[in-house]
Amino acid sequence: MHGYLGRILRVDLSRGRLWDEALNEEYARRYVGGSGLAARYLYDVLDADTDPLGPENPLLFLTGPLVGTSMTSAGRYSVCARSPLTGIWGEANSGGFFGPELRYGGYDGVWITGAAIEPVWLSIVDGKAELHGARDLWGSDIYVTQDRLRDALGERKARVACIGLAGEHQVKLAGIANDHGRFAARVGLGAVMGSKNLKAIAVRGTGKVPLFAPDEFKTVTNQVLALFRGDTPSQSLREFGTPGYLNLAHMLGDLPIRYFQLGEHAQADSLSGVDMAEQFLRRNTACHKCVIACGRETRAPAHGDDKVDGPEYESLGALGSTLMIFDLQAVIHAHHLCNLYGLDVISMGVTLGLACELFERGLLASADTGGLEIRYGDSAMVFRLIELTARREGFGAVLAEGNAALAERAGVPELSATVNRLEVPMHDPRAYLGTAVTYALSPRGACHMEGDMYELDLGRDSGEDIGLVPGDRHENSVEKGRTAARLQAWRNLYNALTLCQFENPPTSLLVAALNAATGWDLAADDLVTTGKRIVNIKRLLNMKLGLTRANDRLPDLLLRPLKEGGAAGFVPDMPTLLAGAYAEFGWDPETGRPPADPTL
Amino acid sequence: MAVKFPSEAWIKALEVRLNASESYAQAAATWEGDQIFVILPDDNYHDTTYFYINLMHGKASEGQQLKSPDQKKALFTSSAPFGTWRKVLEGRLDPLQAMFSNKIKLVGSMAAVQRTPKATYELTKVAASIDTDFGS
Repeated sequence: MHGYLGRILRVDLSRGRLWDEALNEEYARRYVGGSGLAARYLYDVLDADTDPLGPENPLLFLTGPLVGTSMTSAGRYSVCARSPLTGIWGEANSGGFFGPELRYGGYDGVWITGAAIEPVWLSIVDGKAELHGARDLWGSDIYVTQDRLRDALGERKARVACIGLAGEHQVKLAGIANDHGRFAARVGLGAVMGSKNLKAIAVRGTGKVPLFAPDEFKTVTNQVLALFRGDTPSQSLREFGTPGYLNLAHMLGDLPIRYFQLGEHAQADSLSGVDMAEQFLRRNTACHKCVIACGRETRAPAHGDDKVDGPEYESLGALGSTLMIFDLQAVIHAHHLCNLYGLDVISMGVTLGLACELFERGLLASADTGGLEIRYGDSAMVFRLIELTARREGFGAVLAEGNAALAERAGVPELSATVNRLEVPMHDPRAYLGTAVTYALSPRGACHMEGDMYELDLGRDSGEDIGLVPGDRHENSVEKGRTAARLQAWRNLYNALTLCQFENPPTSLLVAALNAATGWDLAADDLVTTGKRIVNIKRLLNMKLGLTRANDRLPDLLLRPLKEGGAAGFVPDMPTLLAGAYAEFGWDPETGRPPADPTL
Repeated sequence: MAVKFPSEAWIKALEVRLNASESYAQAAATWEGDQIFVILPDDNYHDTTYFYINLMHGKASEGQQLKSPDQKKALFTSSAPFGTWRKVLEGRLDPLQAMFSNKIKLVGSMAAVQRTPKATYELTKVAASIDTDFGS
């Protein structure tokens, strides 16, 4: 089997059993890997009765067929399970080096079930897997955990995926960290790992990924590399990271401000990624075989932070402008606290934003919060609430359940900024109307990684041959809905290949790389078909878990026009946009159900 | 009367219009940097033309067509085929879309462009307001 190691490590934590299982080749051929393959596997396993935090909920770490090869940007991995935050399909993806190292260690993925009686960690070294007691690690932050496990293995090059305090306390906003501050952050999969008493997975290997046509593969990947050394988007990401988008996002009305209620603000540009690079950047960091190096290592001397990871654009929005905090150092520090404790910055920030708004409206009072006054612009309060959330202490136990639960508790579900209970990221669908489709139909709830219309309509993608053509960001049309659906399928393919979305080689090169790696004989159209198949299996799985067509909606908050800024006056026309997307996916307009697929 | 593009008269017209634009003055208030625009040959235009313009704090000066690319050094150089510039000036191609899809190739400090994207938009809007003769 080329392009794959051909085996999955199965771990039953309840029984302390570990065994190898052959990769299902037919599934891999149809669903590729990463979250696509995981969805196919879990379609057979999950049902509406599966408790997301129960031992029966499987937690899968899966890579794609290009991961660990010389293909640039192929360093990611997916983590998948039923989400404790949303109750539906849960996937989170992360970069760094953990994915490649897992493959060098001999596995395409790890499938974990059960729950250990005592905290444990799992090691995988060159095909040999072992469970170890982790009582002494329990309570450690993600950086300490990673360091200590490298020491324990005697392998400085070992890569570690782990949870922090938030995951241990089964906070529903908890993510899984790897390679310092990289995160599979979303949908609360850190809580699933915590529910299994699994603190970490450490991997080290010296193997190679078997390729079908190594010379041809090398030629193609060199061609891909050459494309991204000097192009403008790559140059921008290299210099400023994702925060480089902030000023532009502000101008276009894409940056959420004051909990999605303002379209612009005089101080918002003070969160500029350009300023951050000039004043607080220590160095860039890169994932496996990446020529961009968009990662940031920063400092925030005002808070005693000399060397910390991030923040990303998403953090600047979620922990900055959403909360009316326009102080870069405060956001760097808040982001660092989320990292230490292992929290998703988007969900944390948007949940805190709702708390501020509820306080503002008198729907939450200090009597409800253990005496805390939660106000916009109060960074010290944000620092405190992040810690309380990670520990589930005081009002933090309420925040730990997420934004939708807080809105329901306050009796104002209409103020929730979630889609299917996942907090909305920092791209406002009123700025790019296609994003409304992305969020409403994303298999994991509001997600910007399942269709980046803000990238496409800015002109950044290169997929004209597969119908991905930059357009008018304010167009409300059936065709815009179709385009958003095509992009969603394309990004679901990326999340199955576990490729980074910041490098977008022409389709012809991507398919050539995949064929040379696996020996398949795919055409460009097959990739689009595969992307749609992956969206459909996730959709069918979600329907098994209780999702219906009525779930395909945006929160009320995002259907109210903004009064100012680059998105002023625009709201998505959901029936029109969704009609286009349904048609593109071939879903039943009445039920939203994908067509029956006998070869599922 | 329409001004021919590209020509010395056109870049001079841009300078005049930029200096008359209140919205450009506001958007580019912090902008510091001169620019060279390179109009590259394509099917409908067979020369290479270089424009220079100095842009400082919302005001424009020294707008001129260069005899050679070495005549002036600038903080930014933006290059694209004639047809691409025409699409931008006719409002058929978003300038930022053009930049991020490499249809317009930018060389120079990305910092200024990313810190003040509105300056780029307003400059394009002003340029598009010139009654332009593209020769066909």
